[in-house]
Amino acid sequence: MRRRTQCLRTLGRRALVLAAIIANSAFAQAQEPATREAATEQAQADKSKQLHPYVTTKAERLVDKAETILAGSAIHLHPFFENAYPGGGFAFGAGWAQYVSPYNVLDVRGSWTIPGYKRAEAEFTAPRLFHRRGSLKLLGGWREATEVAFYGLGNDSPSNERFNYGFTQPRALGELEVRPTRRFLTLRGGFEYTNWNFQEGQGSSPTVPANLPGVDAEITYRHFNAMAGFDWRPSPGYARRGGLYAVTLHDYRDSNENFGFRQIDYDVVQHLPLLREAWVLSLHAFAATTDTKADQRIPFFMLPYLGSGDTLRGFPSFRFRDRNTLLLQGEWRIMVNRFMDTAFFYDAGKVAAHTSDLDFNHMHTDYGFGLRFHGPLNTPLRVEVANSREGLRIVFASSPVF
Amino acid sequence: MITFQPMSLAQRAALGLALTAIVVGTNIDAQKRPRFYPDDPVAREPETQDASKAQPYFIQQMYEQVYNLFVQPGYKPSGTRAQNINTIDEVPDSHWFTNRIGTRAISAEELTRGPNVGAPPDPSRWTLIREKTSGSHPGFTAQDGKGETWFLEFDPPYFPQGATGAVVASTKIFWALGYNQVETYLTTFDPKNIQIDPKATIKRPSGARTPFTKDDINAILERVARKPDGTYRAVAGRLIPGKILGNFLYAGTRPDDPNDLVPHEHHRELRALRVFGAWTNLTDIKAANTIDALTTENGRTVVKHYLQDVGSTFGMCNDLHEWDLSWEHFYQGDTTAKRLFSLGFALSPWQTVDYKEYPSVGKFEGDRWDPRTWRPQTPTTAYMELRDDDAFWAARRVVAFTDDLIRAAVHVGEYSDPEAEKYIGDVLIKRRNKIAAIYMTAINPIVSPRIDANGSLVFENAAVAAGAAKAPSGYRATWMRYDNATDQTDRLADTQSATTAMEGPRGLPTNNGAMVAIDISADSDAYPAWKKPVRAYFRRANGNWTLVGLERMPERLDAQAATKSH
Repeated sequence: MRRRTQCLRTLGRRALVLAAIIANSAFAQAQEPATREAATEQAQADKSKQLHPYVTTKAERLVDKAETILAGSAIHLHPFFENAYPGGGFAFGAGWAQYVSPYNVLDVRGSWTIPGYKRAEAEFTAPRLFHRRGSLKLLGGWREATEVAFYGLGNDSPSNERFNYGFTQPRALGELEVRPTRRFLTLRGGFEYTNWNFQEGQGSSPTVPANLPGVDAEITYRHFNAMAGFDWRPSPGYARRGGLYAVTLHDYRDSNENFGFRQIDYDVVQHLPLLREAWVLSLHAFAATTDTKADQRIPFFMLPYLGSGDTLRGFPSFRFRDRNTLLLQGEWRIMVNRFMDTAFFYDAGKVAAHTSDLDFNHMHTDYGFGLRFHGPLNTPLRVEVANSREGLRIVFASSPVF
Repeated sequence: MITFQPMSLAQRAALGLALTAIVVGTNIDAQKRPRFYPDDPVAREPETQDASKAQPYFIQQMYEQVYNLFVQPGYKPSGTRAQNINTIDEVPDSHWFTNRIGTRAISAEELTRGPNVGAPPDPSRWTLIREKTSGSHPGFTAQDGKGETWFLEFDPPYFPQGATGAVVASTKIFWALGYNQVETYLTTFDPKNIQIDPKATIKRPSGARTPFTKDDINAILERVARKPDGTYRAVAGRLIPGKILGNFLYAGTRPDDPNDLVPHEHHRELRALRVFGAWTNLTDIKAANTIDALTTENGRTVVKHYLQDVGSTFGMCNDLHEWDLSWEHFYQGDTTAKRLFSLGFALSPWQTVDYKEYPSVGKFEGDRWDPRTWRPQTPTTAYMELRDDDAFWAARRVVAFTDDLIRAAVHVGEYSDPEAEKYIGDVLIKRRNKIAAIYMTAINPIVSPRIDANGSLVFENAAVAAGAAKAPSGYRATWMRYDNATDQTDRLADTQSATTAMEGPRGLPTNNGAMVAIDISADSDAYPAWKKPVRAYFRRANGNWTLVGLERMPERLDAQAATKSH
């Protein structure tokens, strides 16, 4: 009975609604416009009762926020993926960046990796000095590496004899870069005050032999460096044309005069666009030579090395170390679209005790394939697979290889 | 920009009921509303409501780019006919569009004047008041010697005269095509005659606005083309009158403008930008390059819609090395896959096309170019909705530009190299002819039908008239009585003719208010699509027949069919 009453009520309500529709329809018929203009006016009048401002969508707000971050303005909390030292694994980190003037930024940041590499620092950058001819970077911080690899010295060091070492390092550095003509000529000078505290290595490999120079030492360096070069790439962060020809001189002065040395880096990059930049042959040559000061030695951990995500990519980090290194890299880069390139690459390199041995004999080689996700001026993600006689390695990086 | 949010079950149910009601209502309307009102065809879209409460809205450029590149490709064109056209398939005048070329005669003098009604800037002194707020080329906002505010834009060093020439010439072209354009003039910027307004500020990377400095001026002037005498050639755009409301979008309507009823993707003149853009190479079609402004006309405040920046034409680009510009969107799935899997061995057309090298002309050519494969930087919704009848409408306007008019428009670019000026004109002429050959022949091109005093049907074949096609072997017409109240037709007779004039049948109604419908088709082996008739509607009044309706294509097409030829 109750159900039947409900049913009737429902029917009644429906009838009322139907009647209302019919009445409304009849009313509407009476109001039917007689001209096109009247019909339009009626529709516009109807819309005028429901006006509201544009409502920004959630997606629009999110992209806006991303754009603000990418544009660099009003950045505050940001992710920070840079490791304390190469080979430390994926870094988890964050930073807080704050504009302290219209152009200058102070960034306080830190990162940590599962093997225990730590990094904490504050960096001040002033990108617009001397009427846009110069930029300045000041950095103060501390870092710790726990299991840096050492495979011995020389080009023939065995891959199965890995040792580990660690260090902590407080450091302060300043770097001034000047482009006198605001174009290609680039001059850079820097000073670093740093203290290397050697530590025993952690991890599964044994710690480095005690007879190596620098083991157990605490070395305080005043490191001066100066670079001169021509750089006509559109951006160091991403380029499909242009080149870089640069020489950098380093002078490491040990306050105890035990471990002072000099180093010269020669760096050449040349991008050769083909087929309207759909292909690029990118070539890179890098050589580092060191020179000891009188009665002083170079700590083993300061020796130039090969093996990493941007040197010999098919070898583990710090795979080869010695007084001098030579690295040759070639890439065939293929533009896939405006945001992605692929590349086939070939790396060759060697280390040597004497500069006269830096020839093309007995070079270690690898080859591989990579994807690069990039913007017009930067490469936020590079993923590569590299193969060498020592196996396959995968590289993740947030910068171009060269 | 259309955005969809997930709906609740209740919302979906309500929407279903509402749609049902609309469908029912439409059927009722179909019975009671006539197809043609007495004032059809309207020549001007009425804008009857006050829009003074509209609020500024500026689209976020990155959002628009991301949406257009990665969401828009999934958009399926509706296939529906443009909705802002009148009953004779034309776009009436409005605050979006004004019928000019193709509707009436335009002289070279009128074209070269274009939107300019005021005096040009006085370059004897420039007072910088702000950075440039729109467009990608370097520039300033400045007051001239008379204190009037202008937006100044310069040429990049690699295109001396190119960017400024393209802006002024294209402004005339797009004005003639019917769009609201900013008044633009070529002018001179002499660093000796500039000053900085003490209140002038510029937005810094930190987001703060700080005083404009001499170094800010230098930073801009170092990136632009300088003349041998140390001055700079600039293009000056006059401040748009009225309150600026930001951008219009290429989809949906302004929710705060009561007169904005037709979704913008269904505006024929916005769809047609795909054709006009292809013709002039306007690659940067996006909402961020549009401006809405509140303006008061006849005592009513309405929104006027401008295409603000048409300088990305004639091959101008932001980077000399943008080889793929106009051949691909900034991102396309198909070309990405092709290059990814072929390792770049499958060449794209932009890798092999020949460009004539003039410093003042960008990558602009007409031999390999095809309007159907031309691509702007990012696709808009209106771009994707273009149908053959929209393209035909657009092509008629392009074809209305004679060689002389094209050369007159290019001449206002004041290129110092006559060969460069000639080359731009040559390319525009080549492209115009291709547009005619492709879009004017793709569908039945019969236009301007009329019934003369003798009862004969006279019309034109736009494709033949444009020299884009040979005359067909004949024309056919099916004559029908038409009842506007019931939308019913009653066949009268079939007639045919070898020409565009055809005797009418006997027995045409003679009473005032009587209507006839005529299906007109053409027999052409070369163009089978011409067999599909256009339907013309005529109303009898005062002893004359007046065209009140023209339908070139059905109301709705299969979406795939709608886009297959573009």
